[in-house]
Order: sequence, then structure tokens, then C-alpha cells
Amino acid sequence: MFHWLEKNPFFFAVGVFIVIAFAGLITVVPDFAQSARPVAGLKPYTVLELAGKEVYKKDHCIACHSQLVRPFKSETDRYGQVSLSGEYAYDRPFLWGSKRTGPDLHRIGNYRTTDWHENHMWNPKSVVPTSIMPAYRHHFTNIADIDTAYAEAVTVKALFATPYDAPNGTKLGSHEEAKAAALEEAKVIAGNMKNKDVKDAVANGQVPEIVALIAYMNRLK
Amino acid sequence: MQSNAALEYDYSVAKLFTFTTILFGILGMVIGTLIAAQLAFPELNYLIGEYGTFSRLRPLHTNIVIFGFTLSGIWATFYYVGQRVLKVSMAESKFLMAIGKIHFYLYFVGALLAVITLLLGFSASKEYAEFEWPIDVVIVLVWVLWGISIFGIIGIRREKALYVSMWYFVATFLGVAMLYLFNNMEVPTYFVSGGIGNIMHSVSMYSGTNDAMVQWWYGHNAVAFVFTVPIIAMIYYFLPKESGQAVYSYKLSLLSFWGLMFVYLWAGGHHLVWSTVPDWVQTMGTVFSVVLILPSWGSAINMLLTMKGEWNQLTDNPLIKLMVLSSTFYMLSTIEGPIQAIKSVNAIAHFTDWIPGHVHDGVLGWVALMIMAALFHMAPRMYKREIYSRKLIETQFWLQTTGIVLYFTSLWIAGITQGMMWRAVDEYGNLMYSFIDTVDVLHPYYVIRTVAGVLYLAGVFIFAYNMIKTMTSSRTLTEEPMFRSPMA
Amino acid sequence: MDIRELQAYAYFFMTILLVVALYGYILHLYRSEKKGEKDYEKYGKIALDDEVDSTPIESNPKSKSEK
Repeated sequence: MFHWLEKNPFFFAVGVFIVIAFAGLITVVPDFAQSARPVAGLKPYTVLELAGKEVYKKDHCIACHSQLVRPFKSETDRYGQVSLSGEYAYDRPFLWGSKRTGPDLHRIGNYRTTDWHENHMWNPKSVVPTSIMPAYRHHFTNIADIDTAYAEAVTVKALFATPYDAPNGTKLGSHEEAKAAALEEAKVIAGNMKNKDVKDAVANGQVPEIVALIAYMNRLK
Repeated sequence: MQSNAALEYDYSVAKLFTFTTILFGILGMVIGTLIAAQLAFPELNYLIGEYGTFSRLRPLHTNIVIFGFTLSGIWATFYYVGQRVLKVSMAESKFLMAIGKIHFYLYFVGALLAVITLLLGFSASKEYAEFEWPIDVVIVLVWVLWGISIFGIIGIRREKALYVSMWYFVATFLGVAMLYLFNNMEVPTYFVSGGIGNIMHSVSMYSGTNDAMVQWWYGHNAVAFVFTVPIIAMIYYFLPKESGQAVYSYKLSLLSFWGLMFVYLWAGGHHLVWSTVPDWVQTMGTVFSVVLILPSWGSAINMLLTMKGEWNQLTDNPLIKLMVLSSTFYMLSTIEGPIQAIKSVNAIAHFTDWIPGHVHDGVLGWVALMIMAALFHMAPRMYKREIYSRKLIETQFWLQTTGIVLYFTSLWIAGITQGMMWRAVDEYGNLMYSFIDTVDVLHPYYVIRTVAGVLYLAGVFIFAYNMIKTMTSSRTLTEEPMFRSPMA
Repeated sequence: MDIRELQAYAYFFMTILLVVALYGYILHLYRSEKKGEKDYEKYGKIALDDEVDSTPIESNPKSKSEK
């Protein structure tokens, strides 16, 4: 039997495939449904938050920041409550990261403010003098892509039954409604900021990336 | 076709991939050295505006090294070794020749697009799977072409028995195909939403914990099937051929093959220890990571024993030296990995610099040294010229060895220091250090790591220079060397 | 029987099956060599003698040109 397998490339390949596919099947499939369940009260991201998450992805914040508080006292003291599986139910993709060159951000919304983020993203050394994080000043001028964020919300609602427009949940509505709602949210955040360009852009109906990113950061609790 | 004396192996596709191996090797490692320097000297983040920050460049570095340098190296050696162990020339089939060339050109175009889109910030933000869906489609096509090449040349082979290197190449093909497809299951939002937003954007089919499981099943095993399996394919061919010694135990090589295939795929869970994935997945990841030592060391020891009685070659032949050092680093990183996978060690090591330290002794030590040795071995046979300079290989060897040792020692210390500081508490149980304290302390290690990167990179430049000189201006050979590669 | 139980049984029997297969393979490798049916070590020569016109260790009857 073994010898035959070594002589027939096709069946050899099938054999290899079965051996390597087996592990994935056993580890990923059994808990799939359970792991996809959200914790009680979890709301889907608003369109502005999704746009901020897109900025987070675009500039690869996961290269240095995790979003996973592990079950140790040293971590809960530093970052807050242990992360639960259900908290990530609407994270596509997950953004746990694999390296903490900077601190964990899963509960950043609990202890940092819009004002702090504004200063920090403009010049990290202004709030943390020995920080090695680069400044992200282009977030103050680049405009966030609200349309794509809306398209993402529509997609996850249609295909993965993410509960937008549920009672007491996150409202999505039509494209125009969603854009208007995102701008309203952006105005509140810009109201707490001092950068003139950002304020002007929001007044003109545009959302700079920094505003979307702060909306996303503030949501991480 | 009549077999005649003029029939020779045709290395035109192997030569093309040799070129991209050198190109992406330099590009990937220049970026790598730059971002290592950025951690020590943050001012370097602002060289090219928003495109030059650590965070934007890091995926470029990883992807260029994995999918640029290493894949090119794998394909250069495949289009060389594949013909030889099957005793059939690509010149005998116009079809396979055409497929090989399309394979290369499509890959090259795809790779350039990938670099540009990543730099512009189109990213799915899953590590080593950052490419957005249009690039993924190109990658799948490239992969199918390679599949046709593999099974095509196996189809017309003269040697009925498949040499163990071919087993490993076939496994690479299947493994990466499966992993890549399943991890990149994503929906382009433009089409579902009826034409709103950016056409490049997509959303993952898995969410949260599930996405993490699929990602690290992929992430760990992409390492397996790009950085381990095909590199073993290389060493099983090149070390015996260069030394003139048949592999120590062919039976052991087959046994470790099946062992590796089965065990490797379970170990992905060790990236998720102490996370929110089910406990049994974490435990399984740890257990299988430890079991993984057996097939890994099976291959590595087999390589070292191949040199039995011939250790004098280590001093005579710098290519043997590169390959033996390479398998030694393979042993080192395959014992280090399981150690980090143990739950209590993982609690300290995870999220620290020890992890990139581990990856780099695998990639710099095992993968890159082996690929460079393989290309050196192939060069005299492909270009019919002797290797340009033995001295340069020796210089490269010592620069890179020093580089790797500095690299992993500095990151070991950095990782363990930071891991311990994060958890340090005073006598009342309060945390002793704020986060930034644990960053400040790393500065000297980041400097050492940068120096290490520069040393290694210098070695890569010497390698590139030596290769190009070999191709163009070295002394020509009248007949193909049997075993040992001739060098000046 | 819920999925957990099913998983446990599948896992248990697969493990036994694979262990048997693995040891079967080791046994096969060594026994076939001892009985002289098959010499696996000769395949190691494929890498050493790999000119396009060298004699294959085992000829492929389907190949286009016989040596």
C-alpha cells in the first residue's frame, strides 16, 4: 500500500492533502458557531467607527498594538477587564495583533480622550516624552472613506446577518442617512478637537481620517 | 521526440526566478533593516511621508521576504531540481516551457502590484495575508500555473521514483493552496453593496475568535509550507549533490516527511495561547508544537549525518559550510519554537520581541542561508561559469553569522526583559513599571539589532554582487561539475 | 450524541488509526528492505546521478523517450 502511494503522484498528493487538511478541520470547525456569538448588548460598529477601523487597518496599527487583554492580573491591572470572545463578534477581520511594541488598545476608550488622541497622533512625544511611535499627521489631512465603510456595513448586514437597524441597536439606514449620521458623529468629535483644518473640513461636510480613527478608539472599551 | 546527445536541461525559467530572488532579497532586507532602525531611532519614520512609517513598511518587509524572496528562491530551485531528479528536460515540452514562463511573468507583475497596493495602504490587515482580493486572485492564478508545472513535469518524467525533494515541493504546493484559499475568504464590498465605495475593499468571512483561529492556522503553517517544507526540499537535494554523499538515511527522510505533514498543521494554536479561543485548541497547539521537534530534528539530523566522514568538506567548501550552518539554525529554531509554545513561557514571551527574534533565526539562519547556498550551487551549472569569488562567500558567511547571532541574542534579552517588566509587581502587588518604562529599556537592544541587520544586509549585497559577477564575467567552464561547485 | 462527544470519538479513533499507520509505515520501510523486496536507500542516488542521460533508478514506462 505504502509503496503504491509513493509511485502514483496523484494519489500521493491526495494522501498528503488528507493528512494536512485533517488538523484544520478538527481545530476550527467544532466551535465555529459558538465562537461567532456576540456578548449580550454588543452593538455593531457605526459607519464612522468602521471608517476609523479602516484607517487602523490601512496604517497597520496591529504591527505594534494588540487588542487582547490576557487573563493575568498584571494585564487586567494595566488595561482593564479580560477580553471575551463575544466582544469580537463583529470584528472582521480580528485585530488582536501579535506584538506589543506599544500598549494594548482593547480598552483604550476607557482611559484616553479625544483630546489625548489628537495630541498623541499629531506628536506622540507631546504626551509620552520618550515614545518611539511615529506621528501620523497625514491622518489630519487625508479624508476618511465613509462610502466604503457604508458598503462594508451593508455587506455584513446582508451576508452575515450583523444586526444593523435592530431595536436599540446601531442604525444604518440608506446611504444618504448613513452619511449624514456619520457626519453628525464626526461633528461631536471635532467639537472636542482644536486642530483648525480638521474643524474646517468637518464644517464642510468632510471627515478627516483622524476623526474616524478617534471615533473607533473611543468605541474600544 | 528522439533522445540525442544534444539534449540538455533547460534552465531559462530557473534563471528568471534567480533574478527575482536576488532583487526581492535586497528589497525585503533593506526595508527590514530600515524598520529595525526606526525602532531605535524614530526620526527615520519620516523619510517618505505617510508611506515611510514603521507600520506601513512592516507588512511590505514581511510580504517581500516571504512571497518575494523566498517564493522566488523556491521556484528557482524547483525549476532546476525538478528537471534533474526526474531526468527530463523542460526543453522536451513546449507546453511546460510556456507555462513556466507565464508563471514567472504573471508572478512578477503580481508582485509589483502587491508592493504598490501595500504601500498605498490597501490591506486586509491579517498578518502575511494583507493583500486585497484582486491581488489574491492573481496569486491563485500563479499558484495554479505552478501546479501545472509540477504535475506536468512529473507526467513526462523518465525517473519513475519521485525523489524526496519532489515530495516536499508537492506538499508545498498543496499546503499553501489550501491555507491561502481558506484564510483569504473575503467578500468584496463593492459588489454586494451595489457599487458603493472602493472596489479594492473586502471584508473577511470570519469574525473575531474564528477569524483568529483561521488566521493563525494559516499564519503558522504558511511559515511551515513556505519557510520549512520547500527549504527541506532544497537541502535534501543540494547538500548531497554538493558533497557527493547520498542522504544519510532515505527511510528517515520519508518518515520525517509524513511526520512533519501531519504534526505541523496542529501547531497553529500556539499563537493563541491565553487568548479567547477554546482552551482545548490552545492546549493542542502547545502539545503538537512540542511533538513537532521529532520530525523537524529527524530531517535536520539526517542532514548533519549525511556529512558523516566528510566533515573536512566543511573547511574546504564554503557552500557546505552555509548549508550545515543552515540546518543547525533549523535545529535551533525548531527547539526554540516549542519552548515558546509552552503555556507558562508563552505568558512571558507572547507580544514581546522574543517572537520576531525566533522568526528571524529561522528565516535569516535557515531559509536565507539555504536559498543563497542553493543559488551558488546552481550558478556554475546554469551559466556554465565558475563562482566568481570564494573569498566573498567566506566574507559573507562570517558577516551573516555574526549578524544572526547578534540579532537573536539581542531580541531574546529584549523580549524576556520586557515580558518580565510587564508583570513585575512591588511588595503591595502594584505594577512596578508603566508601559513606556518597558519601551525605554529596549533601546540598546534595538540598536544592536539594527547593527545585526546591517551586517546581514551587507552579506546579502556581497551575495548579489558575487552572483552577478558569476553570471557575467567569471571564467567559463568547459564541462559541468559533478559535485563540488568550482569557485575562484 | 452532541458535537463534543462526536468530536471526542472521532479524535480518539483517528489518533489510533494514525499511530497504527505511522508504525505500519516504519515497519514497512524496514521489513521490505530486510526481505529484499525493495531498497529504499538506492533512491538517495537520484540526487547524485542526475544527468539528463543517466540511467533512471526506475524507468518510467510512460515517458516519451526510453533510455
